[in-house]
Amino acid sequence: MNYNSIVLGIIFIPVIGSLVLPVIGRASSRLRNILSFIFIFSSFLLSLKLVPLVLSGRTILILKPFALGLNFTLYADSLAVFMACVSSLISAIIVTYSFGYISHYENQNEYYSMVTLFLGAMMGIVFSANLILLYIFWEITAITSWRLIGFFRDKPYVLKADKAFLVTVFGALVMLTGFLMIYQQAGSFDLAVIQGKFRIGGISNLAVLLILVGIFSKSATLPFHTWLPDAGVAPSPVTALLHAAVLVKIGVYVFARIFIVNITPDILWNTIVPLIAGLSAIISAGAALRETDLKRLIAFSTISQIGFIFFGLAIGNEFAVLGSLLYILMHGIAKAGLFLCAGIIEQNTKTKDITKLGGLIQTMPFTAIAFLFCSFSVMGIPPFGGFFSKYMVFSGALATGKLWIVLIFLIGAFMTIIYLFRVFNLVFLGQQNISAKETSPIMVASVTLLGILSLAGGILISYPYQFAQIAASQMLKGL
Amino acid sequence: MIAKILLLPILIPILSGIVVFFIPKQLRRVKEALALLATFAVLILAMISFKQVSSYSFNWLGRGMDLSLRLYNFSSFMLLANAGFAFLIILYSVTFMKGKDLLNQFYAYFLLTIGFANGAFLADNLLLLLFFWEGLLGLLFGMIAIGNKGAFKSATKAFIIIGITDLCLMLGIVLTGQLAGTLTISKINLPLNNLANLAFILMMTGAIAKTGAMPFHTWIPDAALDAPLPFMSLVPAAMDKLLGIYLLTRIALDLFQFTPLSGLSTLLMVIGSLTIILAVMMALIQKDYKRLLSYHAVSQAGYMILGIGTALPVGIIGGVFHMINNALYKSCLFLTGGAVEKQAGTANLEKLGGLGRKMPLTFICFSITALAISGVWPFNGFFSKELVYDAALERGLIFYILAVLGSFFTAASFLKLGHAAFLGKLNPANEKTKEVHFTMLIPMIVIASLCIIFGVFNWIPINHLIQPILGTARLEGHNYSGFPTNIVLVMITFIVLILAVVNHLLGVRLKGSALHAADHIRYAPGISQIYALAERRFFDPYEWGLKLVNLISKISWALDRGIDWIYNNLSVRLSYGLSYQLRRAHTGNYSVYLSWSLLGLAAVLVLLVIL
Repeated sequence: MNYNSIVLGIIFIPVIGSLVLPVIGRASSRLRNILSFIFIFSSFLLSLKLVPLVLSGRTILILKPFALGLNFTLYADSLAVFMACVSSLISAIIVTYSFGYISHYENQNEYYSMVTLFLGAMMGIVFSANLILLYIFWEITAITSWRLIGFFRDKPYVLKADKAFLVTVFGALVMLTGFLMIYQQAGSFDLAVIQGKFRIGGISNLAVLLILVGIFSKSATLPFHTWLPDAGVAPSPVTALLHAAVLVKIGVYVFARIFIVNITPDILWNTIVPLIAGLSAIISAGAALRETDLKRLIAFSTISQIGFIFFGLAIGNEFAVLGSLLYILMHGIAKAGLFLCAGIIEQNTKTKDITKLGGLIQTMPFTAIAFLFCSFSVMGIPPFGGFFSKYMVFSGALATGKLWIVLIFLIGAFMTIIYLFRVFNLVFLGQQNISAKETSPIMVASVTLLGILSLAGGILISYPYQFAQIAASQMLKGL
Repeated sequence: MIAKILLLPILIPILSGIVVFFIPKQLRRVKEALALLATFAVLILAMISFKQVSSYSFNWLGRGMDLSLRLYNFSSFMLLANAGFAFLIILYSVTFMKGKDLLNQFYAYFLLTIGFANGAFLADNLLLLLFFWEGLLGLLFGMIAIGNKGAFKSATKAFIIIGITDLCLMLGIVLTGQLAGTLTISKINLPLNNLANLAFILMMTGAIAKTGAMPFHTWIPDAALDAPLPFMSLVPAAMDKLLGIYLLTRIALDLFQFTPLSGLSTLLMVIGSLTIILAVMMALIQKDYKRLLSYHAVSQAGYMILGIGTALPVGIIGGVFHMINNALYKSCLFLTGGAVEKQAGTANLEKLGGLGRKMPLTFICFSITALAISGVWPFNGFFSKELVYDAALERGLIFYILAVLGSFFTAASFLKLGHAAFLGKLNPANEKTKEVHFTMLIPMIVIASLCIIFGVFNWIPINHLIQPILGTARLEGHNYSGFPTNIVLVMITFIVLILAVVNHLLGVRLKGSALHAADHIRYAPGISQIYALAERRFFDPYEWGLKLVNLISKISWALDRGIDWIYNNLSVRLSYGLSYQLRRAHTGNYSVYLSWSLLGLAAVLVLLVIL
């Protein structure tokens, strides 16, 4: 198979497959589930096939010109392949978990179709090298996540789904305006052309601001973040998929793609973005300490951690960027694990209120250990994966001498330890208030796998590190 | 010597720890045998490699993040000490932990802790050091949490305090690496100026928090009541001191050019002397065997920090010597506490008494180590304390006075403890109490004998273990072994000790009971109010920190809800309001629509003309 068709396959196997799933679902739900997994997992396998190619420093470009600059341009470099591997792997695990979680709800056809389409659109964003194409995939993810958040059809849930949709689409429209401003100056939506023009700077601050609004609203950063905790009403695999692993990383990825690889914004933004990210990290960490709904709490934690990722990327030196890439990986795994654990707890105890829970470690040992491992990774405790990403982000940031911003994030890191421990204690230790069993086996297996991956990510750090390192250095060279 | 052998002291305990975890419950003997074997193997390795020089480096991540280990006199000394304690305490645990739950976890965490600590001692790369150092954190939590029922609260407290200070250490390490341009510890030697001062403070915070110095100590007394006793004996009493003081010494001697002129030296001495006096005052009023000891574990750390903080060779030697001495007598004291608890069924001093007749060997071990910690000649504690006194006096009278005062209270509280537990009237419930099993006695006897050897033959540790750490250049031909040179200070020490005995006898006569022998100090005017505050945890920075964090989170919550209100209410109202106005414009009146259209056309024309 040649490389062009691999890239097309990564995107269009899930996209086209998602349209077939509802039809198959009418005949056999089991076949539909398996096919959904196969579509997503094939994206992962195909992405893996690209790894040796990009590691050797080569890239793939697919260009089909259309009128008005709306070219169909796909581009695979090490950053894109890294991101594709991470998101498709985590998505595949989450879909496996869904087999257990979703099995007794209605609208399963829609669910599997939307999840698969979502992953396909995500892959589209990752490989797009044309701003309009990117925008189209971006909006597809918005629509799918709207349906997924509103999976339960009660009125309040639907309203929360609408809120998420409205906020992100509002941001996307603002971003589109920014894209148009770039088009006016560069004469093309193609990132290669834009890079030639703006790599050395000279982009207007207004355009940067407009695009940032879109990015921040998608990645749930202050002040566009409040839809994310509200979206906790979605089924747990959806929250894991959207809030932890994949959706919120879209904004982060596009930030890296546009503002590190292709456009060098004014030096001013090297201070503003970390500052916003820092405030976002602290305020949401503080909110996480007071929240009592398990899923909302983990969502606040996501907002906080996204701040750390933006911080590293915005600092912009190679080490910090490298740290942020690893952060995307480690946080994706660990946070998906936390959300999925929350799902197990919620289904078996029928409550999300952490003040009503307690002592679950006695009856749910695997879930408890997986939760603890993932928490350690998010806190950044060695030998878990999160330690290295946190260390590298801090290390890179200090190299630029921005000590005061580092101190803000240090407070954020303190609070991360405190709020995660508060949850762990309230839910798993102490007196058992609601007794519950640990089911289903496939769900428990999924979270156990994520817990183990969190640990393995730290012990075998050198493998993802080598990959991320090549990606980071290529990004900064502007390949 | 093959360099790869350096990996073994790290890998053997870690791998056997993992294996132990998966050995089923029924095979308890196998588990214990494996734990004993692993620690014994590490001990043998440490003996073989003692005083050897070797290094092993392996390219791990690149960019200076190497997996490099270095064995030299200091790290080999630490390795040996750590391995010795580990083996003895495992031996003790075999009997002590019999019949307790969660043995899998206990032995697994124990062995992993040994492995990670060895890694921290051997690491010659700051990132690797941090990896092992912070890696102990999760194990610390696990170790305390498997204690009694409510232990997880103490475990959480320990985790949060050490976790936060470890983050400080991380930032310090990053900053140090940045300033030095390398992460290889043996290549770093920074002058102390602006940023380097900050790096020093951050790293120092991590180091002294590990030793349990104030204000980072408050988890230790809580853990003393909840955690399994062998953990207390190994970690806060011995290993944490080894780790913390090892790092502090490396910071002071190698990483930075630390001199008495630096303000940081004064800072360390203040922390050290306050830790000595405040913690020992708390120890004095405790009514639980283990909790009393745990306050001493804090207080003794103060002597080490004070000694190293003086930045004088005599002080540093005193501090490091005190570290190893304290590790010896403090772990033995905890072991005697465990023996008493196991045989008498409680560690509450109100229910103990007269056990000396029933458990003579335990009592002898207790007496030796209690004399050592009180600084009585010729036991080891005497010599290290005199060195610290010497250095403290040279830097400032007040530090010396606080240190000597600390000695007075130390002696007083051990007189009280020994008297209340081992002498006096036997509690009728303990009529049938027997001496402990020999596997528990051996560790106590070995360690207590070492306390005598390190005292009488103090040239062995000083000449062979400690002075080489400073190197001949710093020593300037001095030799600090043998009897202290400053006879006046020795006299003062003796007088203070005699006063402590007099004070104890006075206290017993006043209150008529050994347990309440310190009550005349406890309820002295002025002091009693302070104690009252302390008992309400007024001086616990953890409580204050949590209050601060709560405040931050309240503000954050308000901000967050405020922003959410804008989305949920303000934007909704705005759009409804706007569409209401627009709807009003759509009256259905033909002439109004026509005039709108004409106005629009005119605007387009105007625009076209202008452009």
